[in-house]
Amino acid sequence: MSGLFAKIEFAVGVILLATITFLVFIAALMRHFGHPLIWSVDMAQLLFIWLCFVGATRALRERGHLGVDFLVRLFSYKNRLRIETALAALFIVFLMTLAKVGVDLTLLNIERLFGDSGISYAFVTSAVPVGCVFLSLAIIANTVEAWRSAKSTQRLIFARTANDGDTSRSEL
Amino acid sequence: MALIGLIFFGLMFIGAPIAFAIGISGFTFFLTSDVMPVSIGVQKIATVSQSFPLLAVPFFVLAGHLMNASDITDRLFNFSKVAVSWMAGGLAQVSIILSTLMGGVSGSAVADAAMQARIIGPQMIGQGYSKGYTSAVIALSSLITATIPPSIGLILYGYVGQVSIGRLFLAGIIPGLLMMVVLMVAAYFVAKKRNYVVEDAVKPTAKSLGVAAWDAKWALLFPALLIVSIRGGLFTPSEVGAFAVVYSIVIGTLFHRALTWEKIKTAFGQAVSDIGLIMLIILMSGMIGFAIIFMQVPQDIAHLLLDNLSDPRVIVAVILLSLFVAGLFFESTILVLLLTPIFVPVIESAGFDPVHFGILMMTIVTLGSMTPPVGVAMFTVCSLLDTPIEEYVKESLPFLVAIIGLIAFLLFVPELVLWLPNLAFDR
Repeated sequence: MSGLFAKIEFAVGVILLATITFLVFIAALMRHFGHPLIWSVDMAQLLFIWLCFVGATRALRERGHLGVDFLVRLFSYKNRLRIETALAALFIVFLMTLAKVGVDLTLLNIERLFGDSGISYAFVTSAVPVGCVFLSLAIIANTVEAWRSAKSTQRLIFARTANDGDTSRSEL
Repeated sequence: MALIGLIFFGLMFIGAPIAFAIGISGFTFFLTSDVMPVSIGVQKIATVSQSFPLLAVPFFVLAGHLMNASDITDRLFNFSKVAVSWMAGGLAQVSIILSTLMGGVSGSAVADAAMQARIIGPQMIGQGYSKGYTSAVIALSSLITATIPPSIGLILYGYVGQVSIGRLFLAGIIPGLLMMVVLMVAAYFVAKKRNYVVEDAVKPTAKSLGVAAWDAKWALLFPALLIVSIRGGLFTPSEVGAFAVVYSIVIGTLFHRALTWEKIKTAFGQAVSDIGLIMLIILMSGMIGFAIIFMQVPQDIAHLLLDNLSDPRVIVAVILLSLFVAGLFFESTILVLLLTPIFVPVIESAGFDPVHFGILMMTIVTLGSMTPPVGVAMFTVCSLLDTPIEEYVKESLPFLVAIIGLIAFLLFVPELVLWLPNLAFDR
């Protein structure tokens, strides 16, 4: 289930990134040759926030989000897992609040048009609630995984441990 | 304000991911404010993504991954080796030159440090360099990569501080090259003293250097193309970022024949994750950034500094010192996002150039990732090479002194930073 989900997430992320790059590339070329394509950049801008949230969910699943760990590193695994579980609950409350406010905001923005494109600005604002729901789902999945591994590989929810491996490590 | 600060630091210290610490503390402002509805907070998150300059971030992140997969790194490594491996501290010099060359195609210090720890690190240790010296050279020279354009840090600074990213890019070139020189000199003296010299050193002939350069021509050409295309605002940095992606795919597939379909997929996948983790921090910082401005924090700090100090250079020196201390504990991205909106108005009202300040600020905060207690580049290199942190700290001192000396020098000689951007943008 989560494997399929990760695959879809990967495909959507790659398609969004490739499309945005292509749109800006073409717009720059056309502008240079005197035929500006305004809608092309508008479209890229519109898709950008979706790419951000898809990428953020993927990074969360890979436990890639950076935190400061010089204090918590001193704690035992069990205590770290407890702290992270409390954080996970807090984050889900936060994300759900954002999602709720985001839905209201989106409903307000349906009339507002995005640039000259004729597309509703709601397409941008709706990325916030949708993104927040996906981030929450990823947090829940990571939490379940972490507690299941507590007796064996001892994984955490947000931070990477030695057992997560180095293969997908992001190096930004 | 106190509550927001408390929540932010509290969450940071119990290990919360930065994006959430920033998001929740920023959202607290809207929850507790009598005048600002929470919907404005969500609106701010969405607004951040509507900035065209920020699109440069995904493009240069993706281009960096694609170029790494295109054999460009190996060719640049080979060229650096032919050029400087005969000097005292040969491989250390190679690492410094390689960081400079990689600076022209990649924008992230940590990525450069990790790559070099894998490629050059084991070779250096094998040739008898101490682990501390090896790790210190590799980690600190990656600062050059972050200074020479394209640089993700400078894009963020330009976006938050509303400073021209094109100018910032050009302003980074001379300081980056000077950094290369001072680090090479420091590496040379330490190597001489330790007798890290190459016995059968052969100076390169013009022919061998030429062959190596020709082999790496597409990588060497890229920074030149980058500069030409942003000169005078011909193309924006975001557009150049999109060109960079296309360039690296064309070079990797058609000319180097190293970029396979699988590798392209992997590069895109890594880029999507990197973009997600960096952009979530940036999106979430939209709320706290608004709160900082709304509560007039920059004005308060400006008063505090301007009432007590008059020389703009002293004001900037005080700011840089506090940034250095903050950099010891916090990751550079957060410092740029949180402190740029505070400090840029301050230094501008003191009459200091924001492009000049940007280069100094970025160098200082990025340096924080090479120093303990919290340093992503330091941890990456030391864990890959199995170096004890104490040894790293001891050996990094000469390089640290060289870089801090250079920053002080750049502070008092603004022409070194501003000459190129002023030349290219006609001002």
